[in-house]
Amino acid sequence: MNPRSRLAPLLPPLLALATAFALCAVAILAIGRSPAAAAAALAEGAFDGPMALGETALKATALVLTGLAVALPYRAGLFNIGGQGQFLVGAIAAAWAGRTLGLPAPIELPSVLLFAAACGAAWGALAGVLKARRGVHEVISTILLNWIALHLIDSWLVAGPLHASGASGFSHGGTEAVRAAARLPLLLPEGRLSLGLPLALAAALLAWWILARTPFGLELRAIGASEPTARAVGIPVPRRLVQAMALGGAFAALAGAAMILGGGTDYRYPENYRDPYGFDGIAIALVGAGHPLGVVLAAGLFGALRAGAIGLQDPTVGLHRSWPDILEGVAVVLIAGQRLFVVSGPGRRSQPPSAPGEDLPEAGGGR
Amino acid sequence: MTHSTLASLLVSILAYAPPVALAALGGVLSERAGVINIGLEGMMRFGAFFGAWGALATGSAWWGLGAGAAAGLASGALLAALALWARADQIVAGVAVNLLALGVVTFLLEWALGADGGITGPVPMLPALALGPLGRLPAVATGAMLLLPAAAGLFLRATPWGLRWRAVGENPRAVAAAGASVVRLRGAAVLASGALAGLGGALLPLALLGRFEDRMPAGQGFIALAAVVFGKWTPLGALGAAIFFAGSEGLQIELSSGGAGLASSIPRGFFLALPYLLTLLALAGFVGKAVPPAADGVPWDPEGR
Repeated sequence: MNPRSRLAPLLPPLLALATAFALCAVAILAIGRSPAAAAAALAEGAFDGPMALGETALKATALVLTGLAVALPYRAGLFNIGGQGQFLVGAIAAAWAGRTLGLPAPIELPSVLLFAAACGAAWGALAGVLKARRGVHEVISTILLNWIALHLIDSWLVAGPLHASGASGFSHGGTEAVRAAARLPLLLPEGRLSLGLPLALAAALLAWWILARTPFGLELRAIGASEPTARAVGIPVPRRLVQAMALGGAFAALAGAAMILGGGTDYRYPENYRDPYGFDGIAIALVGAGHPLGVVLAAGLFGALRAGAIGLQDPTVGLHRSWPDILEGVAVVLIAGQRLFVVSGPGRRSQPPSAPGEDLPEAGGGR
Repeated sequence: MTHSTLASLLVSILAYAPPVALAALGGVLSERAGVINIGLEGMMRFGAFFGAWGALATGSAWWGLGAGAAAGLASGALLAALALWARADQIVAGVAVNLLALGVVTFLLEWALGADGGITGPVPMLPALALGPLGRLPAVATGAMLLLPAAAGLFLRATPWGLRWRAVGENPRAVAAAGASVVRLRGAAVLASGALAGLGGALLPLALLGRFEDRMPAGQGFIALAAVVFGKWTPLGALGAAIFFAGSEGLQIELSSGGAGLASSIPRGFFLALPYLLTLLALAGFVGKAVPPAADGVPWDPEGR
């Protein structure tokens, strides 16, 4: 492939994915099971019927959004490891607002989504402010913020002030279910395919538009390409870093909100919410080469694999449901080690990829 | 607080701090050489699982400890290969180790050990001191926690190798100009880091719980990462941070079981979030100032400026 092509950045992740699939197939053969049966079971579990499609859609929805939460700041040179905390913040915010706001039906759902996004944006912006004002590396601060969010939500909010009263019979732990008007409408009579998926795809389109078509996006990419140059041409770098992290946080929070409002957790924040969609977002962004379209494709693939994994446990297949996790891990290892496999000119130098074929300033010192 | 609560708090700190303390020491060794190790969590997971497996397979907790350290070393080799040899972004490489550990260990747990519900049966444990009503002290873990950081501190401060080790994290170009190999020094640091994290992880089944659970190490690798920062990138500082973090958790358990009035009304979540919050404040310069080694996280590029 011509290295100047717009699609060239997608090549290493595609090769890594193909290799990861092949390695997993070999491993499955090695333990005496059938890769073909596994593939068939995965496809059936992911796509066969409205129930399966709904599961795939639900998981893909969360992964698109948490993938964007990593991919967008990445283009500004920021590594947002905080998707998990921002995801949980969005989930608890949606669970609270969806129970409490009580607005008229047509504006209830948009308000709850906006509130969750705003909470996630604030949580994400914290790391941006610490970076811009205090020089705190965003990787460390977002990891710390993940655990602060988890503990405050699990062992304070959900255990205390927001805990379901139990008046409605037996106590299930977790919060009360959100009101009907706050739920994402289901698109099929069966299964959990909801408005969440179209909304996530719209978010990806929005992310692409911001990055590729707005002056703001251009400035983000300029910062990612070379921060000193961006400063020199007068881009307000600290403010843009905070905004990039806030946007990332908002996307991750929407993923959390989509899980709560889309029925992923019976419309409530569960007692211990451990779905690692925020961490998965890192892998999705890497596999998607940091591009919104790549993120959508990667999220669709891994959403289907995760949903289909149930089929692997069928006795005729005899595999553990953790295989998609293994595939994800192997793929990311291969992407990290791509220099050992892919020879393509000078390659990137631990800087985030710049937009393919876009009009970035060429004078960057880091490239 | 009575003397007996204080004593049992002390015992719980000495028992529960070692896994985090050893992983944090690994983090210090790697970051002082200029490689950020986000993969501590995954390395502890490998160490914990292979520690349990080794002990079950041989019937000896000591062999298990060795297997855990070896598994940590191997995952350190993977991180070194990615971050140094393939010159990957160090964060991406660490994330890769964590993700791999997540899936692979869950699979092996069921495939190799046939564990039901993600928990193994009882695992042989390292010798412990029975302290009557205060519980049992996992003497091996506590001893390792107290000895290894002191030894590493001496090594870094008082030996020529330690000087190079630190130099490669501050100014790798100078080290290369002096004729030493940056990649080799950093590789050694990452291997040591992996072995220590693996050792720390292996203590979870072998010294503390007596079984492996699929959720292990449940974020302790990230606590260790925080302890590296809170301890200002020194072996003894990281040890102190690990002890302090274990203390805040132990205190919370003591208080909630003791039923003391005011303190028990503070939500548990605040105690659990405290280590991370304090570390964040330290990084931001509100509580002391935590300054990383100058070349920490900067990939080595021989052709660079």
